[in-house]
Amino acid sequence: MSDEEFEPRIIGFCCNWCSYAGADLAGVSRLQYPPNLRVIRVMCSGMVHPNLVIDALTKGADAVIICGCHLGDCHYLEGNVAAENRKEAIDLLLEDFGLEPERFRLEWVSASEGPKFAEVIREMTEEVRALGPSPYRT
Amino acid sequence: MAVKVAEEWLNICGGCEVTILDIGEPLLDLLPELNFVHMPVLMDHKYFGQTGEKTEMEIPEADVGIISGGVRNEKEKHVAEEMRKKCKTLIALGSCACYGGIPAMANMFPLEALYDKVYRDCKTTDSADTPSENLPPLLDKVYAVDEVVPVDVYIPGCPTNPDIIVRAITSLLEGKEFKLEERSVCDECPVKREKKASGGEIKRTLDSMEFKQGEAWEKTRCYMEQGYLCLGPVTLAGCGNKEEDGVTVPRCIKGYMPCRGCFGPIRKGANPLVDMMTAISSIGLDAKQVPDRRALLNRYIGGQNRLRPLPARPK
Repeated sequence: MSDEEFEPRIIGFCCNWCSYAGADLAGVSRLQYPPNLRVIRVMCSGMVHPNLVIDALTKGADAVIICGCHLGDCHYLEGNVAAENRKEAIDLLLEDFGLEPERFRLEWVSASEGPKFAEVIREMTEEVRALGPSPYRT
Repeated sequence: MAVKVAEEWLNICGGCEVTILDIGEPLLDLLPELNFVHMPVLMDHKYFGQTGEKTEMEIPEADVGIISGGVRNEKEKHVAEEMRKKCKTLIALGSCACYGGIPAMANMFPLEALYDKVYRDCKTTDSADTPSENLPPLLDKVYAVDEVVPVDVYIPGCPTNPDIIVRAITSLLEGKEFKLEERSVCDECPVKREKKASGGEIKRTLDSMEFKQGEAWEKTRCYMEQGYLCLGPVTLAGCGNKEEDGVTVPRCIKGYMPCRGCFGPIRKGANPLVDMMTAISSIGLDAKQVPDRRALLNRYIGGQNRLRPLPARPK
């Protein structure tokens, strides 16, 4: 991929109740956002273990984003609080694996925030494009 | 007929060989069944013939091969390959052989950086060239034995528990497979667990722990809940022996110290660093306070690519 422009591969974990619906809304509203995101639907942002994030980043993804319901809106009451607590551990792990902090994001996107979802993905894709490929990508 | 055993030590301190001695009385029952045909730590057996007359390395054929220590240089790699060729069953003994062990902490740095540190940048010695004569060249990093040749049986531990060696050899004599159960140290630890969050500060093991010596283990509070960093949740169980009262106590726990993680990850492919950080954040300890996280949580398991030099960041 020497001459081609670098296209980041971003893995997005979206919670079933808010963010996946938000992504859906972005789709049905025909909002444009870069095709670099691969969405994985999970039941709750709180179930995304740091292992999954680190595995993705060390095995081919350039960035990972976790999207969940806004604090207080979690379908399971406190799942997104667990996600937020893990964010700190994930940030430290990125440091331990020599990865830039920009390669991981945690965002709250509700089911009605299609435009916000598109905006977040646009922003992140550009940021990661500027960073270049993950050092673990071969 | 006695089973032929070949033992070889590679990049190791020799502690695992002492553990074989430490088997104690059960060793007397085992010995008639075993015939050690090659064991550098005990017997004078040269690789290239007794007077060095041969050109090919020679290790006698054996039914069971035991390798302790990781693979650091070309000679050790050669010996490991020769052992694999000559032995029907190969046992990796100790954490160095299974995961790289303490020496594999060097994998955090590229080889050139290590040479510079030792031979050129050391403040108390004169700067010199890297020695190359009459020494086997070092490999680029420390390898676990199974990164070089296939291994049949793993006996981790630093040093390991003599009881496991006996169990492994006995089951091999009976023709059975031997594998440690995939359980964590916490699964078999008998201490009392009350509630998750101990909150805040991670204490150092120098600070005194709350326990009464001799008291029943069910009354001693979990060290992790007391705020000490214990690697029990992410470490393979098996180090403890059954006590007289039927309770199995992991060895460090028995000595009133938190688990250091020498038995390595619970299953292949697990990453204790990541798992432990998750565990720490989920019980409410401050993960930022863990000193030298990468080295500390990978202390015995730096081989198999778990520790590697950090990728250079583009400036």
